[in-house]
Amino acid sequence: MLKSRTEPPLRKSLRSGDYGCQYVAHDSPVHRMGAAAKLVFGMVLTVLAAGVRTPPTLLALVLVTLGYYLAARLTLGDLWRDVRLFLFQAVLVIPLYCLVHGFAGGVWPGVRISAQIILFYLPGVVFLRTTRSVDAMRGLRRVIPYRLSFLVFVSIRFVPLFFRELEEIGAAQRLRGARLLPRQQLDPRNWRDLFHCLLLPLMVRALKTADEVSRSAEARAFGLFRERTFLDAAGRPAPEPGATAPQLPVPLDSVASGACCHKLDNNSKEI
Amino acid sequence: MTNATQRIYLWHRFTLREAVLLCFCATFIVLTRAGLRLHLNLPGHVMFFTMFFFLLARGCVPKVGSATLVGLITSLASVMLGMGAGGPMVLVKFLLPALVVEVAGIVSPAFVTSMLACAAVGVLAAGVRAGANTGVEWLIGMDEEIMLRKAAVSAALNGLFGGLGSLAVPSVIRRLRANGLIDQGTGTR
Repeated sequence: MLKSRTEPPLRKSLRSGDYGCQYVAHDSPVHRMGAAAKLVFGMVLTVLAAGVRTPPTLLALVLVTLGYYLAARLTLGDLWRDVRLFLFQAVLVIPLYCLVHGFAGGVWPGVRISAQIILFYLPGVVFLRTTRSVDAMRGLRRVIPYRLSFLVFVSIRFVPLFFRELEEIGAAQRLRGARLLPRQQLDPRNWRDLFHCLLLPLMVRALKTADEVSRSAEARAFGLFRERTFLDAAGRPAPEPGATAPQLPVPLDSVASGACCHKLDNNSKEI
Repeated sequence: MTNATQRIYLWHRFTLREAVLLCFCATFIVLTRAGLRLHLNLPGHVMFFTMFFFLLARGCVPKVGSATLVGLITSLASVMLGMGAGGPMVLVKFLLPALVVEVAGIVSPAFVTSMLACAAVGVLAAGVRAGANTGVEWLIGMDEEIMLRKAAVSAALNGLFGGLGSLAVPSVIRRLRANGLIDQGTGTR
């Protein structure tokens, strides 16, 4: 039987990602909502979760929050991954209530509190599941100063690099006899190797990289002004025909003096 | 760590190099949290590396605000990377221990070289982090007795892991200082 090409592909798995709260790309009404709208709606649900006390209101809120979650085309398998840590809390909270108030008087408050804790965090989970990092970063740039947002982006950008470094240092140190295997690390006597053979070299590498990154950024006049700037490539004279391309598009001294730097407003493009 | 050619970049005290180094400490916290969340399900275990890197950051950049900056970047990066289901609560969870480290740094600027002081700060800061969850539970109206019992268990586990992670900081700091890689604690590199 022929299928229409516009039909969305069938889900092959109950899970959308490798771990809880991971972003999943779907075409859903929640995905199409703006990041700010999702945050506001999520905050409303969170406040309501903190305020509900009676069974009917709690049930209504469970249905609304669950509807919001499922509207994002997330599955019950995803829901299990996202809330299982909170379910462990419920395993602790309900018996504690039964212990203090007796079984009859403790079950309902324990269930209510456990459900409220899950409902409190679930809108945040939906935000993370349905909002791309790029969109979240774009929103973040409007809220926090650019110098701080630069550091956040650098922090995220260097995660893969330091992950590779960690693997390489670990492999080299294991070859030298360091006890860094997970089962060896179960013995606290081997933690010395973890800190001195793995984390110390990693920190030395971080110091060196911080030097390089900061020098590179400062050579490009980064952080010279209080507001963000960009290089005005259009303002430079055209090169002579047949002339070799210069190594630097703009002399560093002119960049440093701010001659070619323009303040970046919200409508202009970054170069 | 500051030389004549480096401009102050952030908060009137950090150069770009220091700020980038602190953001790398935040990267390491994010990395270790991601690594541990895939393997372990022990409550409070994330505080092991979190406290280690908070205190290491304070030792590498011995200025007021360094731990706070690491906490701020870690929480924002965690939200960006989908590791902070609590939304604004993630900010509180990282800023609370960072503030304890800051206070310790103000009271005793050289505490990062003392094993006992590091362990005490690590236990206290990691225990305080458990207070963030208790705040949520108080907000939703949990029974006070149960809330306090749960907070005590949570603070004890957080404190245990935080204290253990902090114990390694003085020796790492001493080795970095001995090789002239970081500030000697007297303003000279």
